[in-house]
Amino acid sequence: MAVHVLAFATSPRRHGNSETLLDALLEAMEAEDGVEVEKYALDEIVIEPCRGCNACEELNRCINEDDDLDWVLEKIIDADIVVMASPVYCMGMCAQAKALVDRMQVLRSRKYVLNLPVVPAERQGKRLGAFLATAGQDWDYVFDALVPSVKCFFHVMDIKNRDISYLMVNNVDEMGALAAHPTATADAAALGKQMITDIKARLAGDESGSGEQE
Amino acid sequence: MTDDTGQPIRVLGISGSPHRGGNTEQLLDRFLEGAADAGGIPEKIILSTLDYRSCRGCNACHKTGVCVMKDDLIPILTQKVPDADIVALASPIYSMSITAEMKAFIDRAHTIWAQKFKLHQVHYEEEHFTNHPGYFLATAGMERPDIFDYSYPIITAFFNGFGCGYTPDHNITATGMDRWGSIREHPTALTFAYTAGKEAVRQLEKMQTGTRTETK
Repeated sequence: MAVHVLAFATSPRRHGNSETLLDALLEAMEAEDGVEVEKYALDEIVIEPCRGCNACEELNRCINEDDDLDWVLEKIIDADIVVMASPVYCMGMCAQAKALVDRMQVLRSRKYVLNLPVVPAERQGKRLGAFLATAGQDWDYVFDALVPSVKCFFHVMDIKNRDISYLMVNNVDEMGALAAHPTATADAAALGKQMITDIKARLAGDESGSGEQE
Repeated sequence: MTDDTGQPIRVLGISGSPHRGGNTEQLLDRFLEGAADAGGIPEKIILSTLDYRSCRGCNACHKTGVCVMKDDLIPILTQKVPDADIVALASPIYSMSITAEMKAFIDRAHTIWAQKFKLHQVHYEEEHFTNHPGYFLATAGMERPDIFDYSYPIITAFFNGFGCGYTPDHNITATGMDRWGSIREHPTALTFAYTAGKEAVRQLEKMQTGTRTETK
């Protein structure tokens, strides 16, 4: 069975630095056997901000059906690997990425309020997440403020801290700066390859019925 | 233009909550009431009622200092925020940070950053920061002690752009606010916000008395 990779390029600027970094990762993943990659640019789909209405705490779905959230959520739940890439704007992830993170409130309600499974028990611990970011600033702390929101994004979809990988590259500001970075592209490719090896091992563990996870 | 001519102090409050009249807006209302009772002229902006999109990341403003987008945020970013003496940003915490609405507003202030750091069209004297205090009002459902910490760098970036003095004592926060109207049961938050609004205006008046402030 193929490994399903779902990726979100959240930057409003298509094919800029964060998406270039994402593409390097996805290309390496896709080069492995039996991997299907789906990438969505938030610039081309519509994910509105969360209305904070808390209706999902009772309905187990989002009351806002005017945008693309429903099918995006289905894909998130079906994926073996979920990847998000964002540029840093004003010390945080871009607003478009934050809207996607906030709309995961449906999963938070499902998991923590309604106590329903987000993924079936047999897929628990068999999913991986990756967060990629680029920042124009060269400060080494430029990513610190966005990491907690990234954790929220993955936790509610049943991807635990130890299963989240990060690749965050600072000091890449102008268009093309990422491609010119000495190590970023190779780092992304290496991470992509490693994640596919890891997920295959996890999934194989499941198929052999060894039950040796957690 | 700031003034030392006895003109009332302008206090601008901006709410990034998608809820009308919720905990965050009530907190902001108390801040503005305190400011008004001290003689300030309050104005409240509700981002969820405006038509705007987030920054496109096109960087056109790096060359022109002007945003290519034409929407409801333009007059706020080019007139209302720069013209205010005191600015208060208010947001609930969603997923460990400010809302996407507030983040989109702040991301759009990139134009101001470009004017300052790319084009060097704007420069603030130290005095400007003292005379233009910035406040952050926030509510959160969770009780985590670090729940507001990851918003502060974003708010700092915004206020730096506009030359607003934003210090840790300018944070007005309340946790445990995950239900409609919870703020009314909070022992101190609303009173604290009222007092902070009042004091913000009083302190500014005191500072402006006998202090020449520059025109922009």
